[in-house]
Amino acid sequence: MLGVDVGGTFTDVVAFRDGRIVTTKVPTDTREPERGVLQGAEELGVDDAAVFNHASTAGVNAIITRRLPKVAFLTTEGHRDILDIGRAWRPLSAMTDPTWRRSFGDAASPLVPRYLRRGIAERMTASGEEAIALDEDQAREQLQVLSRCDGVQGVAVCLLNAYVDARHEVRLRELVAEELGDGVECSISSDVSPLAKEYARASTTVVDVFMKIIYSRYTERLGSGLREMGFGGRLNFADCAAMLVDSDFAMQAPFRIVFSGPAAGTVSGAHFGGLIGDENLLCADVGGTSCDISLVTAGQPFVQTEFELEHDLVVNALSNEISSIGAGGGSIVSISPAGEMRVGPASAGADPGPACYGKGGTEPTLTDACLLMGILDAERFAAGRMALDAAAAQNAFEGLETSIDPDQRAPQAYLMGLNNIAEGIVDIAVKHGVDPRDYSLLAYGAAGGMLLPAALELVHARRVIVPPHPGLFSALGLLSSDLVYADSRSAYTVLTPDAAGPVDEVYRQMEDGLRERLGADAHDVRFERSMDARLVGQTWDTPFIPVPQDTIDAAAIETMIESFHVAYQERAGNRFDALPVQGVTYRVQAIVPVDKVSYPHSDRREGQSLQASRTIQLRDLDGSTYESEEYERDDLRAGDRIEGPAVIREELSTTRVGTGQTATVGDYGEIVIEQGGGR
Amino acid sequence: MHTFPRPAEATVSVAREPVEGECAACGAQELRSYPVLSEGGWFRVVKCQRCLVSKSREPWNLAGSITFLSEQV
Amino acid sequence: MSTVETGTQAEQPLLRDIPEDEFEARYGCDRFTATVLANRYRYTVEHMCAGLLSNAFSIILRDWYDFAATIAGPPRDNYSMPAVSNSLVLFLGTMTDAIRNTVQEYGPEKLRPGDVLMCNDPYRTGTHVNDVNFVRPIFHEEEIAGFVNLQAHMLDMGGVVPGGFSGTKRNVYENGVVIAPQLLYAEDRAVTSGWSLIFDNARFGDVLLPDIKTIYENLRLGERLLSETLERYGIRAFHGAMRYACDIAGEAMHHALRALPDGDYAGEDRIDCDGVDDEEEFTVRVTIRKRGGRAEVDLSGSSRQARTSINAGWLDAKTAVGVAFKFLIDRETPFTSATFRDIDIVLPDGSLVSALPPDGAIFLYWESTMPLVNAILRALEDAVGERAVGGDYGSLSIHSASGATADGTPWATMAQCGGEHGPWGATSTGDADSYNVFYLANNIDPATEAIEADFPVLVMRKEYVADTAGAGYHRGGAAVLKDTLWTEGVEHYSSPMHVKSASGFGVGGGGDGRNGAVWVFEPEAFDPSALIPDTPEAYAGTTPVAGVLDPETHALREDGEYFFFARVPMWQTEPNTVFRYLTNGGGGWGNPFERDPERVKRDVRDGYVTIEGAERDYGVVITGDPDRDPEGLEIDSAATEAKRAEPAG
Ligand SMILES: [Zn+2]
Repeated sequence: MLGVDVGGTFTDVVAFRDGRIVTTKVPTDTREPERGVLQGAEELGVDDAAVFNHASTAGVNAIITRRLPKVAFLTTEGHRDILDIGRAWRPLSAMTDPTWRRSFGDAASPLVPRYLRRGIAERMTASGEEAIALDEDQAREQLQVLSRCDGVQGVAVCLLNAYVDARHEVRLRELVAEELGDGVECSISSDVSPLAKEYARASTTVVDVFMKIIYSRYTERLGSGLREMGFGGRLNFADCAAMLVDSDFAMQAPFRIVFSGPAAGTVSGAHFGGLIGDENLLCADVGGTSCDISLVTAGQPFVQTEFELEHDLVVNALSNEISSIGAGGGSIVSISPAGEMRVGPASAGADPGPACYGKGGTEPTLTDACLLMGILDAERFAAGRMALDAAAAQNAFEGLETSIDPDQRAPQAYLMGLNNIAEGIVDIAVKHGVDPRDYSLLAYGAAGGMLLPAALELVHARRVIVPPHPGLFSALGLLSSDLVYADSRSAYTVLTPDAAGPVDEVYRQMEDGLRERLGADAHDVRFERSMDARLVGQTWDTPFIPVPQDTIDAAAIETMIESFHVAYQERAGNRFDALPVQGVTYRVQAIVPVDKVSYPHSDRREGQSLQASRTIQLRDLDGSTYESEEYERDDLRAGDRIEGPAVIREELSTTRVGTGQTATVGDYGEIVIEQGGGR
Repeated sequence: MHTFPRPAEATVSVAREPVEGECAACGAQELRSYPVLSEGGWFRVVKCQRCLVSKSREPWNLAGSITFLSEQV
Repeated sequence: MSTVETGTQAEQPLLRDIPEDEFEARYGCDRFTATVLANRYRYTVEHMCAGLLSNAFSIILRDWYDFAATIAGPPRDNYSMPAVSNSLVLFLGTMTDAIRNTVQEYGPEKLRPGDVLMCNDPYRTGTHVNDVNFVRPIFHEEEIAGFVNLQAHMLDMGGVVPGGFSGTKRNVYENGVVIAPQLLYAEDRAVTSGWSLIFDNARFGDVLLPDIKTIYENLRLGERLLSETLERYGIRAFHGAMRYACDIAGEAMHHALRALPDGDYAGEDRIDCDGVDDEEEFTVRVTIRKRGGRAEVDLSGSSRQARTSINAGWLDAKTAVGVAFKFLIDRETPFTSATFRDIDIVLPDGSLVSALPPDGAIFLYWESTMPLVNAILRALEDAVGERAVGGDYGSLSIHSASGATADGTPWATMAQCGGEHGPWGATSTGDADSYNVFYLANNIDPATEAIEADFPVLVMRKEYVADTAGAGYHRGGAAVLKDTLWTEGVEHYSSPMHVKSASGFGVGGGGDGRNGAVWVFEPEAFDPSALIPDTPEAYAGTTPVAGVLDPETHALREDGEYFFFARVPMWQTEPNTVFRYLTNGGGGWGNPFERDPERVKRDVRDGYVTIEGAERDYGVVITGDPDRDPEGLEIDSAATEAKRAEPAG
């Protein structure tokens, strides 16, 4: 089996074959991303692979950079500005800033310019009555305006109250095909995300039609390219929760794969955690530009029901909740007007990159700080493919306008970067009401091992774990997940005994539909039900309330109500038994177990004890220097124990064990770092 | 709550009482006394009208000139 | 405690330059820890707000985000406020003083761990009676270390108007119940008399109860987060970092003021009238004296208080002054209590923005403080140069409605179906958005589908209108037209306050946004099978609520007649009546005749400007049919050049 994670700069390819993990990294071809993927696939070989699992940031990058195909938006006449309005509010940083503008608004960079947003004469009410019939002549006129425009490739349709009654949207889709032809992609909101509150539904539908256009041809080319190489297995896409679905199924609702890359890391963490018996994890992926933080509790990633691609640019999709902190290896160190040292959110990226890359970067970055502190080895960076320039790093730090002692700047920048990461970790812990002391901090990404052990003290996590292959750990997540076919229906229903019949019908329909899709896979499938619900009077839902698996009768409704109250009290602190519970979205997942990556065992050491390769000088936080042992990760064996200060080097990554910390090596080669345990 | 009548004049203004003396910062003999609202609430200030440096700032009532009948119970 | 200022402030070293040991002595921790804790305080208030939003019941909390959270320092630091949440800007300036006044009147020595104080009096704590301050002390070794606070809008607080949103109430007795500082929880036990005071005077108690319990849980969350911080970093750092966060903000404003040329600057803005008659206009007048790093904002010469509940209180005036200054000269630094360190406000008693009890009723306070913001933006227009900011839509023209369902259950909607959101003014950085929360606030726009699921109304139109934005090198935001069709018999209050003069004034040669209006379409005045058109002819059969209109056709006319909004204090309508709100347009920035013709063409293509408007307001001649062939538009360059060369006027 193969997993491919297409990032903005590199495409990571991993394979699991004959009990071994094989990896490669190739540059991403941003114009024709399938080329990089196919190149990586060729390097590792696909002819014997049963599955090819794929994640990509192409979708989200297209949206963020606005390199987008031309699409139109149809909505109820009088409401074409819902895409410009969003939810109206501005971010904290703009609270007193009159220059703030919505990033996706007409005054900045709209996803769909106003003249391509057309009103259709029709109106449904919230109770599903037709207040104004669909005026087909008027609709055709509007579509003809679009056909006069040059090269409209897709149409998103979101009519008011279509979550209650979809008939006008369904008919409009037919009219789109008639007037604009079959070559134009069309998504309707009642299909894509039949939830109340028109803006999020509309923006999700727009994202869906973009993803249809971006991914459908890509998928075809990728599929045929793989077949030419002799691949006869199944092509699967990871969605925003890193659940795998086959590519045909994914293409029916491709908004779900818009943000598939980062989620894979969380799933990788959950899988690896299961292997080593550690099921509560704070996952931190420290890459070049950011640190992506996510949570795994009792072996499960935290899944949310909506997320934002930019401030207020909402997508109604299940996704692993990942919060991104601007603190990666390339994050730029600067001095604020108030004299405070700042790290990020700006990043030097890969080009010019940190000052020490010697590619023209003049601003100091976290990587420069690590180099000056001795944590990175100038000669061995990136498997020795690139020598780092310490003098350039030094110059960059000296160029900062600050009264801070020059020797302390790099250590302070390192600490500030750590602190940003620590705040992000505490933030996500608080949001979910978990105590970091019950969690292990899983450190991956190329820069994870050099930063996160030092954050241990700040976040009070139980320990830091650096897994094998930390630089490719996210891609390994694509070999760590089951196949999951998900469906959901939204139907606002107050849960009373009378609701049992309709709710049962909803689940039965969804499960029958999924069974049909699954075909041969259906025999070992496991169904899991849940619902998003709320107390009558609320408009925000409490998601993922467990739902009984059997026939929904009056007793099952009772169980659902009780489950809601229990979950609500856990999450919000109150229990309101007197208030009725309203079901909003009913969810089913059909889970087909598949083989996953397994990590080779690390053998126990026999004979000679572990030896440091040499002793090096590290710079302390106060600017002074101290000695540290340096080890090779390849030399480590299960059960080895290293007392800090120490540095452990491997091909694409470095792990720093702080003074007063102890590292032990686990059964799968993972490095486990704990506070204390030393002298 | 005390009863405060609606002002009879169409516009309202703050009177600034002249105070003897000279500004320690700029030397101007333009000191005036009046209430101001700033960080920390209401103050009665004596302030130079030329350079705006305060000669004195005494914290005033919590709600400025609004007082409460309950204070007299 | 009396302080004396001496000398010039220039000698004070910048915080960034003071040596580490001095920093530690001043703030009880190193610079790094202070920065960390200042962030922690901001995270804490955001968590409190997130918890309240997602679990609230009333429309005003859950769909509008009408609340804010703050942290306050201990009494001996004068309740300084180092962190506020990203929500209602309106509460930023009031809450520091509100917490101090609430706790001082109650008596800080009487507070115990687990207490929650409440107070809602506009004359003590600002804003209006529906905004109740909930204050919870944080204790450290039996001493108050600080407070976590939530100020949240309660769906109802009694008074003669359900929900309270009306500009026609004449005194505090009609306005709603006033809660002086008192306990709602004592050592984490509910104080029944406090709850009863609310439930016995306010409507919709069944919504208030779970809302307030949710508020209480989020105060406890804030307390838990701060207690952990205290335990970890110690009391000296805990307080030092609060002072540090404030000092940073104070310093930023100080330096921004220094950069502004010294001088005396005057500006004003007005609202149309109060709710009694349209005889008296109300003007807010400011004189800003700026010397070095200090400013004085004097409101002398402003109109006396109104006779109905459109007034603002002294703390609302303070907020508006702080926000206006930050908008112009200090946009980036977080708002804290020290924003006002070098700004003195000279505020006459009994003005429109410092109303007095009992007759100076305060409810629609923002309607009066928005002109105060505008007055300052106008006063400093030249002094700030390129950073000048034009006006926004100027009035929420707030709409509230109430009725009963078939089974007699009462309902009320507020701030959902009028002109609550609209355009901003343009700035040096570009065109403005057309649908924002007004300058003094930040919250969520209620979804049309959420409104329609709850109330007997259809929002038929919510869309921008061409040629309403202030023209400019950068264009202001366009006005919003909103039509709501009420399917049952309903009672309405409508409060458009700023239609006589432009609120969306332009700056630096930019044009003013067009003024809006409000109309009622009775069932016989329109065809229910289609949208009501937006043409001058559409208004003939309407009843104007407010606007400067042609007395016959009821269409907008600059030299028309003013229709007084409160001549009908409460509108009782038949089923299938439409209310139409047209907001004011936002102000332009810079000379519109210098705007790139391509940008004008794009505005015509997008329906922000008509072909006629392009020629009239921008001197750009465009040909084609923007409606039927938007990509076929062309600029007539020769005609444009000629048009733009014509002498002005
Ligand atoms: Zn002076």
